[in-house]
Amino acid sequence: MTHKTTLRYSLLFTIGLLALLAIFLLNISLGSVQITLPEILQCFTEPELVNRSHYSIILNIRLPRTLAALAGGAALATSGILLQVFFGNPIVEPYILGISSGSTLVLALIILGGYTFGMKTMTSMGLFVGAFLGAMLVMVIVIFASQKVKSITTLLIIGMMVGYVCSAGTSVLTVIADREKIAAFSIWTMGSFAGFTWSHVKILYLVTIPFLFLAFLMSKPLNAMLLGEKYAQSMGISIRPFRFLMVLVSSVLTAVVTAFAGSISFVGLAVPHIVRCLFKTSDNRIVIPASCIYGAVMAGLCDMGARLLMSPTELPLGAMTSLIGAPIVVYLLVKQKRGEM
Amino acid sequence: MEPIIRTENLDVGYHNRAVISDVELRAMRGQVICLLGPNGAGKSTILRTLSGLLAPVSGAVQVEGIDLKKMKKKDIARKMSLVLTDQVAPSMTTVYELIAMGRTPYTNFLGKLTPEDQKIIDESLETVGASAFRERFFSELSDGEKQKVMIARALVQEPELIILDEPTSHLDIKHKVEVVRVLQKLANEKGITCILSLHDIDLALKGCQIVLLVHNGKIVSQGTPEDVVRDGVIQQLYEIRGAQYSELFGAIELKGREGNDIFVTGGNSSGIRLYRALSRKGYGLTSGILHENDADYQVAKSICGEVVSEKPFERICPENARRAKVLMQKARYIVDSGFPVGTENRENLTLLQEALAAGRQIWSVRSREECEALYGNKAENVCTVSSVTELFEKLETAG
Repeated sequence: MTHKTTLRYSLLFTIGLLALLAIFLLNISLGSVQITLPEILQCFTEPELVNRSHYSIILNIRLPRTLAALAGGAALATSGILLQVFFGNPIVEPYILGISSGSTLVLALIILGGYTFGMKTMTSMGLFVGAFLGAMLVMVIVIFASQKVKSITTLLIIGMMVGYVCSAGTSVLTVIADREKIAAFSIWTMGSFAGFTWSHVKILYLVTIPFLFLAFLMSKPLNAMLLGEKYAQSMGISIRPFRFLMVLVSSVLTAVVTAFAGSISFVGLAVPHIVRCLFKTSDNRIVIPASCIYGAVMAGLCDMGARLLMSPTELPLGAMTSLIGAPIVVYLLVKQKRGEM
Repeated sequence: MEPIIRTENLDVGYHNRAVISDVELRAMRGQVICLLGPNGAGKSTILRTLSGLLAPVSGAVQVEGIDLKKMKKKDIARKMSLVLTDQVAPSMTTVYELIAMGRTPYTNFLGKLTPEDQKIIDESLETVGASAFRERFFSELSDGEKQKVMIARALVQEPELIILDEPTSHLDIKHKVEVVRVLQKLANEKGITCILSLHDIDLALKGCQIVLLVHNGKIVSQGTPEDVVRDGVIQQLYEIRGAQYSELFGAIELKGREGNDIFVTGGNSSGIRLYRALSRKGYGLTSGILHENDADYQVAKSICGEVVSEKPFERICPENARRAKVLMQKARYIVDSGFPVGTENRENLTLLQEALAAGRQIWSVRSREECEALYGNKAENVCTVSSVTELFEKLETAG
C-alpha cells in the first residue's frame, strides 16, 4: 500500500465517522420539536434535569429510530456487497433481486393474515424469522435460476419478476386483510424507520453487529471471489460452503432490516458503489467497514429527509433512497463506462 | 524423476459423459506442454480436469503422486495456479491488488501481506514485465497487459505448475510472443511446468517442448513437436479445407482456383508473391519448372492447380521441360517471375524464349534492360511491370 493510499483511506474513514456522528446528532435534534445539542448530551449525563417531554421524545422516538436507521443502512450496504460479489455484478442488491419483496410477502402473511386468523400480536423475533424465511425463499429461487441462466440481465429480470409475484401476493393480502392494519402496513411496505421500538432495535443490533463482523471476516475469500469462482477455487477457497455462507449472511442482513423497516431500495447498491469509487479500491477489507459507515450515513440522511422535507407529512423512505441512490448509480455507471472505453 | 502432474486412463467430460478418453499425461518439471486441436476438441475440458475445477469422469489426476481429489484446496493452490479464458473485470482494482490476490493460499485470515509476500509480488511483476503499470487500474489495461498481469497473479501462488487456457487469444503478435517468452522463462529459470492450449500453431510448435494433439475424443499423439508434427498432421488435425498448412513454414496458403489462366515461372522465391496475388485475384495458376528444394515449390504446390517440378539440385530434364512447355502453351498468359538464371534452371529461360519466338506475349517483373539482355530482339514482346498492381492492370487491359 502506498503512502497516498493510506492517506486517502484514513481521510475518508475520518470524514465518514464525523458525518456519522453529525447525522446521529442531527437526527435526534431536528424535527417538529427542536432539541438542542446540550440538551441531548444532558439526557445521558443528567437525565433527571431534562424537559420531560423532550426526554420522552428523545428516548422513546428519536433515539431508537436513529439507531435503527444507522444499523439498517450498514446492514443493507453490506448485504449489497455480498450479493455483488456472489453474482459477480455491481448492479445487484437485495431490493433489485426481489429478496426484500420475499421478506415483505411473508411479513404480510404474518401481520395481515395473523390478524385475520385471530392472532393479536407478533414478537419482534417472530417478525425477523418470518422476514428471513421470505428472503431465503427468494434467494434460493434466484440462485437456482442463476445456475440455469448465465446472463446477468436474465437473472435480474427473474429477480424482478419474483419480486413482482411477491408484491402481487402482498397486495392480494392487503385487500382481504383487516382495514385498520392496512394503512400502517402500506406505509411500512414503502420502507420506514418510524415506529421502531426498543425491542425492535435490540433485535436489529443483536443480529446486525455479529453478522456485519462475520461479513468483515469473510473479506479475504470475498476478495478472491472478485475474479470469479474458478479463480477463487484455484486460490484455495472451498466454493460450496463459502457460497452458502454468503447467501446466509446477506439474507439475514436483508431480513433483519426488512422485518422492521420494510423494503428499502438502493442503499445496498448505491453505497458500495460510492465507497469503491471514493476509496478507489474493491478490497473488501476496506469496502465492508467503509460501506457500513457510509451506509449508516446514507440511511440516516434519507430518514432525516423523509421526516423533515415535507414536515409534518412524512415521506416514504423508499422515495428518498431512490431519489438519492438512483441518480448516483446512473452517474457512476456512465462515468465508469467512459473510463473503460 | 517424478512427474509434477500425471494422469492414467483419465476420461474427462461433463455429467459422466466422457468428451476425451484415455488421457495419458506426464508433465515433468520445467516443461512447457501445449494442447493443440480444433475448437471444441476438448482442450479446455482437459485443462479444467487437470486443475481440479472439473471432476474426472473416470481415472485420476495425480499431483506429485497424490490424487488431486484427496488434496486440500489450499494445498492444491500452492502447487498449481491458473490463467483462464474468463474475462475478469473487477472494477476499482489496481494491478497490484489483483496480483496480491494470488497470495491467498499463504496469507493470514484477513489476507495481510507480509514483506515476504510483497517481495514475491514485486518479483512477479518484474518477471512478466508489468512493473510499469503496478498502480494502474486493471480495467484500464490493454488485453496484452492484462494477460501479463494474470500470469503474474498465477506466479505469486508460487506454483510448480501453471495451467493456461488459450493465454494468447485476443493478443497481438508482439504480446503473443511475449507471453510464450515469459512461459519459457518460467520453465527454464524457475523450473515451473506450464500446460496450456494455444490456437497459434506456429508459436506452439516453436515455443513448447511437448505438444499433445487432441482430436475426435482422444489424444492422437504427443511428443516433441518436430517428431510429432510431420507434413500433413496439422491439416488433418484441424480438418482444414480450402487451404494448405505448411509445417515447414508454419503458415497456411489459401488454395487457388483450378485452371490454367496464367503460367507463372518461379525459382529462388521469385514466384511466391505472384502466386498469392494472382490466385487471390481469381486466376487459375500453373507453374514450373521448380526445384523441389525451392521455397517457391512449397507455396506453388499449395496454390497452383498444376506444378512441374524437378528433383533438388538436378538440372531440369527434357521430360519436365516438355511438360512445362505444354502447360505454358495452353495458358492464356505467361508471367516471368524474374528468377535468377543458372546452370540448373536454364531450361526455364529457354521455355520463355521459345514462347516469345512462337509469337506469345510475356509479362515480366524484370527491368527492360534485363529483358533485352535475356530475350534479345524478342524483348519488344515482353511487357514489363514494376509492381503486382501494375501487373493486374496490364493483364486486364490485355483482355
